[in-house]
Amino acid sequence: MSGETLIELKQVSKVYRPKVKAAFSDAAPGVIAIEKLDLAFSKGEFSAIAGPSGSGKSTLLNLIGTIDAPTDGTIAFRGKTVTNLDENALADFRLHQLGFVFQAYNLIPVLTAAENVEYPLALQGVSRAERRARAIEALSWVGLDGLADRRPDLLSGGQQQRVAVARAIVHRPAVVLADEPTANLDSKTAASLLDMMLDLNKKHGITFIFSSHDPTVLSRARRVIHLQDGRLQ
Amino acid sequence: MLLLAWRNLWRNARRSLLTLASIACGVAAIMFGQSMIKTIQWQLIEKATGIITGHLRVQNKEVKELKFPEKNYGDLPKLEKILAGDPDIEAYEHRILLTGLVSGKNDSNGVLLCGVEPKRDPKVTTMSTYLAQGSWLKGDGKEIVMGDQLADALGAKLGESIVVLAQASDGSMGADNYKIVGLFHAGSQTFDKAIAFVPLAAFQETLAMEGRANDLVIKLRDPERLEEARSRLSAALAGEPLKVLTWREVDEEITGVQAYQNAILKIVLGIVFLIVALGILNTVFMSLFERVREFGILKAMGARPSFVLRLVLVESCMLGGLGGGLGVLTGVGLIAYYRQEGLPLPIGEAMSQFLPFDTILHLRFDWPTHQTAIAAVVVTSLLAALPPALRAAKLKPVDCLRHR
Ligand SMILES: Nc1ncnc2c1ncn2[C@@H]1O[C@H](COP(=O)(O)OP(=O)(O)OP(=O)(O)O)[C@@H](O)[C@H]1O
Ligand SMILES: [Mg+2]
Repeated sequence: MSGETLIELKQVSKVYRPKVKAAFSDAAPGVIAIEKLDLAFSKGEFSAIAGPSGSGKSTLLNLIGTIDAPTDGTIAFRGKTVTNLDENALADFRLHQLGFVFQAYNLIPVLTAAENVEYPLALQGVSRAERRARAIEALSWVGLDGLADRRPDLLSGGQQQRVAVARAIVHRPAVVLADEPTANLDSKTAASLLDMMLDLNKKHGITFIFSSHDPTVLSRARRVIHLQDGRLQ
Repeated sequence: MLLLAWRNLWRNARRSLLTLASIACGVAAIMFGQSMIKTIQWQLIEKATGIITGHLRVQNKEVKELKFPEKNYGDLPKLEKILAGDPDIEAYEHRILLTGLVSGKNDSNGVLLCGVEPKRDPKVTTMSTYLAQGSWLKGDGKEIVMGDQLADALGAKLGESIVVLAQASDGSMGADNYKIVGLFHAGSQTFDKAIAFVPLAAFQETLAMEGRANDLVIKLRDPERLEEARSRLSAALAGEPLKVLTWREVDEEITGVQAYQNAILKIVLGIVFLIVALGILNTVFMSLFERVREFGILKAMGARPSFVLRLVLVESCMLGGLGGGLGVLTGVGLIAYYRQEGLPLPIGEAMSQFLPFDTILHLRFDWPTHQTAIAAVVVTSLLAALPPALRAAKLKPVDCLRHR
């Protein structure tokens, strides 16, 4: 199950420069969110990125998720560099290889739970009937049988995050990236979401990389990457 | 995607409905305005061409004053042959139009004297339908039909005789007694106070212009075939010392009024388009701003920029299409209602100074111009959505996600 290297970061840096006049941008140092990071993830991992607020957890996940571009260094996916792809190629890469869960407001409010889960499949061009069947299956994996036709505003926070996880796994991505998926949940709900994710990892071999600064959440991870000021600790 | 776009539209139902309403009102207002102006124009043309101008006019080549031709033509039988064989021509008559003087017991008045063919004239113009007293010209005798106000001014009554004095183009004067056989009331001062009709034959005799006339007026079967009919007649008359004119050239005032109205219509339409465009721009911008984070999620999920672009455009297309559809329904309803009921028109009174004009307007549809307007609104709604749509498409996923 594990072993094969999935994602490899080489000397990756991210510097946020203040968006002021170009003349000043050289002088302004900017914020170094990630500094010369070397890091690899394997298939089947259930790993957490830990660190205090501002340590660069979100930045790192965004870089891995190709929704942000590094200032320096390369990121490779199964040995293929993705940091040099154009917008469309990156979109297609994310569409097929990645799943995302964010801290909150993950779902599209005008669509039902099932429709939200179907979305990646719709973007992939999967037929309506298959889409629906797979969405229902994914919803049952996350323990939401029977809530397919609910709108997000009628779901609890924990249920919403479960729908988000279902959407992140429905198209069988190589890896699911979750940035503080439990931060908006109470500890009990957070624990059950984590259990569910761990279950998916064990049963279906789905690779998870998530961030958190909550020790109980972190204790569930098989591997914890500690970040401090954009560097490994 | 269609589903998402459709649902997005109703996410802020009040705003969408407002925009829909503004588009719909815009379309309806445009259609109504177009219909009103076009109906006025049609009526103007119908009245003008129907009552005296006719569709086509044939006059001596050298005539400069088209309304009162100062040169005349002869050889009528040869013309008859050409005219009788033309499929576009419904009816025609030879006329002599001159300014002259009529004198009654009390007073004398300068008038437009029309020598018309009593049998043919009712088929060519509607003048005989405005008869208020007596009868229309019957034969070739020295009879006259004039406006009721003119008769009043002259102090003349039905059955009495008055003197008609006119100068032929060669300068010779002619005067004769004519008996008033009919009075008309067209409801327009220009007509009722200043026009009189006499039989062509009698007028020719008075003016010593036997066998000649100065104005051949033609009514077409289909007024829309104006230019085709003119071209054919011109060709048939090639070599004759004659020219063929359309009512547009004779009644330049009407063409002028038309151009003026069209210009006003364009300005109004422009303003309405602007309002519609701003309304859509506002709706689309607002709804995009609220949804920046969603675009981030879609993009993170793997939606290409072009997908987001299309999503936004489809939304505004729906908005434009729906609003346009509602507008067309409203517009059709309004026009249909006023076609039935008639629209009281204050300018009808003003117009009737020059021409008999109905003060109640029965609106008509003018689909070619309506179609253009509707298409323009829908295109406008698309164009207005393009800048915000492009912006949404270009946003970086991380920047979207940081939103809110
Ligand atoms: N768009 C941005 N522009 C400028 N600086 C930024 C931007 N995003 C993040 N930063 C800075 O980069 C550093 C890392 O931020 P990041 O959001 O990755 O931290 P984090 O570990 O996710 O924090 P948190 O636990 O609060 O979510 C911080 O110092 C932050 O201020
Ligand atoms: Mg963060």
